[in-house]
Amino acid sequence: MKFKKKHWLLILLVCVLAASIYAYREYNRKAADLMSVKPFASIEATSLIAMYETDEQKANTMYLGKPIDVTGAIAEVDNQQDTLANVMLGKSDDMHKVSCLLDPKSIKELKKYKTGDKITLRGICTGYLMDVELNRCVVIK
Amino acid sequence: MIKLFFTVVYIAACSHIATAQTKYFTKAGKISFYSKAPIEDIEAHNTKGVSVFDVSTGQIEFSVLMKGFEFEKAKMQEHFNENYVESDKYPKAVFTGTIKNASALKLSQDGVYNTEITGNLTIHGVTKPQTIQAVITVKDGIVSAVSEFTIAVADYDIKIPSLVANNIGKTVKVVINVPSYQPLGSKS
Repeated sequence: MKFKKKHWLLILLVCVLAASIYAYREYNRKAADLMSVKPFASIEATSLIAMYETDEQKANTMYLGKPIDVTGAIAEVDNQQDTLANVMLGKSDDMHKVSCLLDPKSIKELKKYKTGDKITLRGICTGYLMDVELNRCVVIK
Repeated sequence: MIKLFFTVVYIAACSHIATAQTKYFTKAGKISFYSKAPIEDIEAHNTKGVSVFDVSTGQIEFSVLMKGFEFEKAKMQEHFNENYVESDKYPKAVFTGTIKNASALKLSQDGVYNTEITGNLTIHGVTKPQTIQAVITVKDGIVSAVSEFTIAVADYDIKIPSLVANNIGKTVKVVINVPSYQPLGSKS
């Protein structure tokens, strides 16, 4: 009986410990690197823009908050001191574009590309203001 | 309506009309918020606020996507989006207002202006009147603006479960920093 009680206590202790470790790790968890995340969809920048222009609400139900791969021509790069880079995808004379804020770790990779090049970026779709917005983008190809 | 306003402004921006410079806009407004609580401090940052203002009328608008706020911890960001601001349902926060004494702003020359903006702030689908103080600076031809104000989460019908009430402040400090407002007719 005594042994059994000890046995249960040990199991309980292990459970509490495991739960604590899980809670601690979950609490301190950083946003996932999108390189290792499976994209929800792959889409051309111009198609994504067209979807948002046509029906923002419908496009939001499909893409908002989800990781998506967007392919398009680089219309413009706004690079601020290597800490913040934003890539505009789409036709340069189009009013709306896909505005991709890069994960700082991907800024180096972006330097291989120049304006006009075709690129695929993976980012989290955060919605639509003047452009379709993507955050935490990584360079896929 | 807001989109229409932005669209009109953008078309005007692209059409290079040679009129007196009265409209300015940005797609790179920085918005941060800070919440202090006994257990921990929370902060989040968004670098993609869209704003436009017209000196001739004093009208100003500022929009931001809720999902664009980045937190240090992923869990906080998930709670913020899913439980508090319900960003799937209410993806944007919008402020529309009027700059007091806008006619006094001489943005073609260097200067610093302390202004008051009265308007409405919509967060979580709830619109409340909000008056904010802002400093507009013109230096070497670049128009920038900063503002800081405090909002009460309860005002916007954001419910914080009692279990985590000690982790989250009842008021949130909002800091806005627009490094550069582009005049119409130039690229964004």
